[in-house]
Amino acid sequence: MQRWRTLRFDFQAMASPCSIQLDGQDEPAMRHAAAQAIAEVQRIEHKYSRYREDSIVSRINQSAGGAAVDVDAETADLLVFADSLWHLSDGLFDITSGVLRRAWDFRAARLPEPVALQSLLTGVGWDKVERKGSTVRLLQAGMELDFGGFGKEYAADRAAAVLHGHGMRHALVNLGGDLHALGARALPGLQDTAWQIEIQHPRPDTASGKSSLAVLALQQGGLATSGDYERFFIHDGRRYCHVLNPRTGWPVTHWQSVSVLAANTTTAGALTTIAMLKEADALDWLNTQGVRYLAMRHDGQLLQH
Amino acid sequence: MSTHNTPPTQSAGGVLLASLILPGLATLVAIAPTSAAAETAPEKSTIAVKYGRYSDSQPGWDRIKATAPQVYVQAPIAGDWSIEASAVADNVSGATPYAHTQRSGASGGGKIGMSDERRAGDVKITRHMARSALSASVAYSTEHDYKSTAVGLDARWSTEDNNRTWALGVGASSDTIDNTASGINTAINEHKNTHEIMGGVTQVLTPTDIVQFNLTRGVGSGYFNDPYKSYDLRPNQRDTWIALARWNHYLEPFDASLRTSYRYYDDTFGVQSHTVGLDWVQPVGKLTVTPGMRYYSQTAANFYFDPVLTAQGQYDALGTLMRVVGLKGFKSADQRLAAFGAVTLSMKVAYAITPDTVVDLKVETYRQSADLYLSGKGSPGLDPFNAQFVQIGLTHRF
Repeated sequence: MQRWRTLRFDFQAMASPCSIQLDGQDEPAMRHAAAQAIAEVQRIEHKYSRYREDSIVSRINQSAGGAAVDVDAETADLLVFADSLWHLSDGLFDITSGVLRRAWDFRAARLPEPVALQSLLTGVGWDKVERKGSTVRLLQAGMELDFGGFGKEYAADRAAAVLHGHGMRHALVNLGGDLHALGARALPGLQDTAWQIEIQHPRPDTASGKSSLAVLALQQGGLATSGDYERFFIHDGRRYCHVLNPRTGWPVTHWQSVSVLAANTTTAGALTTIAMLKEADALDWLNTQGVRYLAMRHDGQLLQH
Repeated sequence: MSTHNTPPTQSAGGVLLASLILPGLATLVAIAPTSAAAETAPEKSTIAVKYGRYSDSQPGWDRIKATAPQVYVQAPIAGDWSIEASAVADNVSGATPYAHTQRSGASGGGKIGMSDERRAGDVKITRHMARSALSASVAYSTEHDYKSTAVGLDARWSTEDNNRTWALGVGASSDTIDNTASGINTAINEHKNTHEIMGGVTQVLTPTDIVQFNLTRGVGSGYFNDPYKSYDLRPNQRDTWIALARWNHYLEPFDASLRTSYRYYDDTFGVQSHTVGLDWVQPVGKLTVTPGMRYYSQTAANFYFDPVLTAQGQYDALGTLMRVVGLKGFKSADQRLAAFGAVTLSMKVAYAITPDTVVDLKVETYRQSADLYLSGKGSPGLDPFNAQFVQIGLTHRF
């Protein structure tokens, strides 16, 4: 048998730095599996991009206020999942809320006009989406679906599934900070140890260069982090981040960062986003989901389960 | 809202159960030892947290850590959460790190834009061994008038005590320049090939001193002209040497760090340059002050031609043209091939007004001119170039 080795593939997808790491003995098989997994990520990016006019999301959005659009099984499944998230989050996770970002100019660091925000809010609401069989219809013109809220996490899970299908049992997929671990390390000396994942600090200390909040040992399952530091501006001493409440159109303020560990990345990602949106109620709600989390509150208090 | 008035669909682990409808995800969960039960976290991934204290006794050393060849240490860590362990983390989880993203401007907000904008092709593969690592990379990029393919191999290995790290890298690139598509036709199916080899060593000398030395040799042949400039004809061979030395020293009496660097560059166009950099990192209570300076000087390429100036020192376009037409052999008026010097002065101050509010200010001033050339006058007729850079940051927790 050949010696154990680690291969790491770095690539760019979904506007993020991504990587796949594999421990294994059969290098050609590892390369082949990784190439297939990267292709799967690219397939999903291509299919659900809202920047591509020919993507399924663009076709649905272009028909807003008009006829129903027939969708394939995978898209229909994702819509069912979006529907579940909307119900489970009391309407806070809403894939029609993407239009709100038109009111928020994070580069100009400007607060939106209340009128502009109000008019955009009338086009937000999963209850204004009609699903019948394999068709979907946005009831109002100007409405938009955006799969960005779980697309990257879903792609991480799919990539892991592809690796698993190719016999890989010791792998780590990282799509821009959304991770899926497929079994422990296997290198001699590292057998059965977990992958070490650094959690980014939401307020890195520029003086000491400390940029990590903690390190998590991840062996199997998904890990995702949501924070108020990815895209934000400060106005009159207040921070306005890109996580917007779909009911008010305003940014959430309770959490600096929420990391969630779950059986898959899609779940972890949805939970971390919903936790940000639930604000003060987040931990009570996370506790009903049976997951581990690490959260830093607005005042710097670190909470975990 | 409280958990009491949530819909009845919310069962324990409801989101996980909902996700299992997605293709392939049920299989993955089934192989997880803890399955879809309430306790979904991996068995061995317990959580314990230490935070808030940076135990490094040498503040200001972050820079050298970032620039030194990165050793991939895979020592297993017993504890699950640890601040110090960040250096051996396999990966980073955070909101999308835009700072490391090549093109991130596409989405105007939202969790993450699913963007098509990506580099044409760029894959790097790294194989890690106990004390060493080997990487291979392939990159391909294309523009309307430029195609480039590059491959690289890097190896690095460290000694038993981790005090010394060796690095070796080789790279090759092949470019095609063709502007017939834009109708200019000054470069038709032109090619350029370069090969590079780099060797380096980083050594921890004492607990307060780290030094690094890198030497890079490059050999290039083919088309080096600027196809958009008139009278630009350069040799079809450009070989380079680059030597880089750094020394970072922690001064215990001052609780400060001194970072120094020197870079020497030499090529067969006749360009030689020297760059010296100095930074002083001084923490003073809640304040960290970092003054820095950088000096750069380069000689002109052998074939760089000076413009003709009038008696008043003005640029004489006709006179220059007459001179150029009479020039035999290689020639270029590219200012980047002229003799000049440059100085950058910088000052960064970070201050914690309250424990919750930190302000930092960085001011940088850059001046490039012929007068700053190392041995007296540089190329005549060059316009001095000045730039100022001010950055103010405010971090407030509330």
